[in-house]
Parts: sequence; structure tokens; C-alpha cells
Amino acid sequence: MNGWLSAAALLLLVGFAPTVWGAASGPVRRRVMAQNLATLAGCLVLLLLAQGYARPSYVDLALVLAVLGPAGTLVYARLLADELAERPARDPVARALGRAMTPLAAVCVPLVVLPLCVATGPGRAMVKLLAIGALLIGGNIVSTRALSARHATGHTPRGTGHTPQATGPERHTTGGQSGAAGG
Amino acid sequence: MSRRARLWVLAVGGLGLAVLLFAASLELPGFGGDWHPYGVRAVEAALARHTSNVVAAVNFDQRAFDTLGEESILFCAALGTVVLLRQTSDEHRVRPEPARVAPPVRRYALVALPVTLLIGLYIVAHGQLSPGGGFQGGVVVATALHLLYIAVDYRALERIRPIGLYAMADAAGEAAYLLLGAAGLIAGTAYLANVLPYGTFNTLASGGTVPLLNAAVGVEVASGVVVLLASFLDQAVEIVDADDPDSSGRNSDQDNSGRPRAPDNSDQPPAPDTSGRTPTPHNPPEEKPT
Amino acid sequence: MRPVADVLIVLALALVAASSTAAVLARDPVRQSTVLALLGLSLALLFAVLQAPDVALSQLAVGSALTPLMLLLSVRKVRRKGKEGGSHRNAGNRTGSTDQEGRR
Repeated sequence: MNGWLSAAALLLLVGFAPTVWGAASGPVRRRVMAQNLATLAGCLVLLLLAQGYARPSYVDLALVLAVLGPAGTLVYARLLADELAERPARDPVARALGRAMTPLAAVCVPLVVLPLCVATGPGRAMVKLLAIGALLIGGNIVSTRALSARHATGHTPRGTGHTPQATGPERHTTGGQSGAAGG
Repeated sequence: MSRRARLWVLAVGGLGLAVLLFAASLELPGFGGDWHPYGVRAVEAALARHTSNVVAAVNFDQRAFDTLGEESILFCAALGTVVLLRQTSDEHRVRPEPARVAPPVRRYALVALPVTLLIGLYIVAHGQLSPGGGFQGGVVVATALHLLYIAVDYRALERIRPIGLYAMADAAGEAAYLLLGAAGLIAGTAYLANVLPYGTFNTLASGGTVPLLNAAVGVEVASGVVVLLASFLDQAVEIVDADDPDSSGRNSDQDNSGRPRAPDNSDQPPAPDTSGRTPTPHNPPEEKPT
Repeated sequence: MRPVADVLIVLALALVAASSTAAVLARDPVRQSTVLALLGLSLALLFAVLQAPDVALSQLAVGSALTPLMLLLSVRKVRRKGKEGGSHRNAGNRTGSTDQEGRR
């Protein structure tokens, strides 16, 4: 009973608090990536809180955040395309975040969702939890891709010259990854 | 007044406010105590009316008149935005360039749109049972529709967004709330009284008028937010000053830096439905977006 | 249960205080918008911790996508307007970035 709340507090401190710093300092790219990570961490905290307070209806909060969080990141990716493209990822934090986001989502979400599923037992609540997990992973992969796609467009001309080959494989991988996310 | 004197006035005012707030906080009941006179009565009243979400019972039953005011705030805000951000005579519309969105993002948006829409409707429909309600669900529904602008193209959003229809739905939602309140008068009790049968506790058809009022607010908020954002989007994407000679050529929806994008800068081909079109430097103002 | 719940409340309050201070200190609206998103999330978490899920849901619905969208659309319009009117705001930004590129 107590462990869920402790886990939520730990995740709030370790996962969410650094993103406040990340979103409040540095270049725009780092800030948007921090926002992306914050929605992931916040959603997992909300799931843990729902279990910790023994209120299944609180799961709706995580459900809404799981769809609106990536939408928010896509808003930034769309409307700050210039800022994201013009300032290349010289910031080590942004680069590390961009690389770590997808594995982080793929590891952390099951790490939280699967114990919650075991605790709730089979039923509609478990289906909801699994749906939230799938939405979170899919949304985070896509929004991270959206951010790094901008990164690729801004970076390629400077780094490797005007070679279409440089963008070709990138495009291929983005398509493949999203296919996995969508399925 | 000099800057120094103004700072002094600010300091005195702030200090006075701080002292008053501190004095007031001494009289407050303890944080998280077990004495909740209003809470106990609100919960009792909510359970008597078979509404399991007490907050919904307070918002849409016990204090439904307050919610009418809150709903009108958004209605007036949307109205004011439409009036303030209208297209004036010295402005004209240009067709935005098709956006270049990465295909995975586009595919995600097309999957996420119905899911988000469904979640929004779920939040509206379950307002009397679980956290949520008309406002929250309405905003989620409106956000879902705008995934089309965020991740697909502005013209895709315009295709499913006849503004007149949404403006009418906005007004209809507001009117429905007023009329549902009048139902109480017709039934011979007070305005906005809960006159419908309360239904079975903890089912969708419980709470009497609460779900109906929730639905009215949901329609009002969803269409109000759509109309609100439409004004913002029109101003940001389509409307430019008429006296600016080169603005129409630059009005790229995708890239507002004013520089033409190098062709190899984009790692994505243009959208299949827009690939035939090239941005023309001067669009006639009457050319409506398709 | 009690001490953990208190720790959660204190943590959420601290996060709200930190992010709102950062939002006030950020001057550029674009940079401010990301801080605002974080502030909205922290507020939602605070409301959830205080067990006010309806308020938290409102905050999440409005703060996570709608507020950034409206804010950034306004920024885009103002910048375009400034450019049309001959303001040097965007031009300054561009020369700044080319300066950086030159230094690199």
C-alpha cells in the first residue's frame, strides 16, 4: 500500500524534478525535450498515485496526460521548428535526452505499468492501464522522432554537406520505428 | 513619482499584504484535519442525489448557478476573441503553404485523433461518476481536432472545421444550459433544480440533470475552444497585412524565418495530396483554401 | 502512509514553487512557454497529491497542449507582424545565429 506512494515520491524527485530544471534553462531544444520527458514522468507518477491512494478513477488523469502530453510536444515541434532546427544540438543534455528518450520510455513504462497490472488483477482496469502504457510509449517515441527529425534537417547541411544520402537512412529508420510504434 | 518612491509604495503594500495573509492564516483550520463541515454536507447531498462524483454534484447540482456563470465566461471569451481577431479591411488572406510533417508523426496523429476524441467523450460522459466532466472533456475533444493542424496540415483542419457550425454549437451549448435550468421552473421548483429522476447510483444514467448539464457544457467548451483557436490560427497562419508587398510570398505555414528552405533540407517528401502544388509568390486574396 | 503523503505534498509544492519562479524569470515568451508547460504539469501533480482530481484534470487538459498552442501562435503572429513592420527582432535573431555559425 505504502510502497506505491514511496515509488511516486521517488519518481517525482528523480524523474520529474530534473525536467523542471531542464525546461527552465538552456536552448529551446533541451527545453522541449525536457517537457517531453516530464509528461512521461508525470504520467507514471499519476498512475502510481492512483494505486497508492487506492482510487482507480484517478487513472483518468494519466489517461488524459498520455494523449495530451505528446500532443503538447508536437505543438512545440511544429511551431518552434525554426528554433529547433537553427540551434543544433550542441547542448550535451539535449543530445543525451534525444538519444535516451525512446529506451527510457520503453523501459520505465513497463516497469511501472506491469506491477500495477499485477496489483489490479485482470479486468477492465488492467486493459485501461495497458492502453495508457501503449499510448505513452507510442506517443513518446513519435514525439521524440518529431524533435529529432527537425534536428536532422537542421544539422545535415552543416555536418555532411548537401548529400541526400545522409538523410535517406534517417528517413528510413523513422518510418520503421513509427511502424513499430503504431502496431 | 520617482522609481525609488514607487518601489517604496510597492514594498509597503507587499509587506501589508504579507502581514494580513499571515494573520488570516493563523485562523485557518489545520491542514488536512478531520473537521470538514461543508465537505460532509456536500457528500451527503451528492449521495442523496445518486451522484458518485461529489465535485460534479457540487458543480452541476448544488451550485449549478455558479457553473452557469463560469460557462458564460468562456462563451464571452470566445465571442470577444472572434470580434477582436476578425479580419479587418486592411488585411487579406493568403493560402498557407502545405506543411512538411514527418510521415511517422502524421500517422501517429491520425491514430491518436480518434483515440483522443474518444477519451474526451468518455471524460464528458463519466463526469457524474469519476473525475472530469464537460469542461475537461470538451477541452480534450477540441485538442484532439487540433492534432490535424499540429501534425498534419492546416488545410486538413479547415476541412473538418466549418466555423459557423462550431459557433452555432457553442451558442447551442450555452442555451441548452439555460434551458435545462428553466426545466426546474417548469417543474415548479427552483431554477437549475435537479428535477429528473436520480437513476441508479454509480451508473451512467445517474445524477438526474448532472449528465445533461455536463453534456451541454461539453458541447459549449469543445466548440468554444475550437472557435477561439480558429481566430488565433487564422491570424497566425492566413491573415496578413494588405499593404505589405512581399508578405504573401513569405507566408509559409511551416517556416516563418522568411528564408526559402533548401530542397535537401527536408528529409520528407511533401504530402501526397499537396505534392502537385508549389507555393506561388502572390496568391489572390479571394483564393480560398481547399 | 501519513509521512509519505506529506513528503509527496511537500515535493509537489516545491516543484510548483520552483517552476513558477522559473516561469516568472524567463523573459522570452518562447522559452517561457516550455516552463509554463512544466508549471502546468507540476500544478496538476500538486492537485492530484492533494486529492483534487477534477481540478488536476482541468489543469492537464488546458495546460498540456492548449496553452502552448495559443501562446506560440500569438508569438508567431507578433513576430511576423514585427517583421512586416520593419522591426529588427527576427532579423536580430538571425544575425545572431549566423554569428554563432561563423564562430564555430
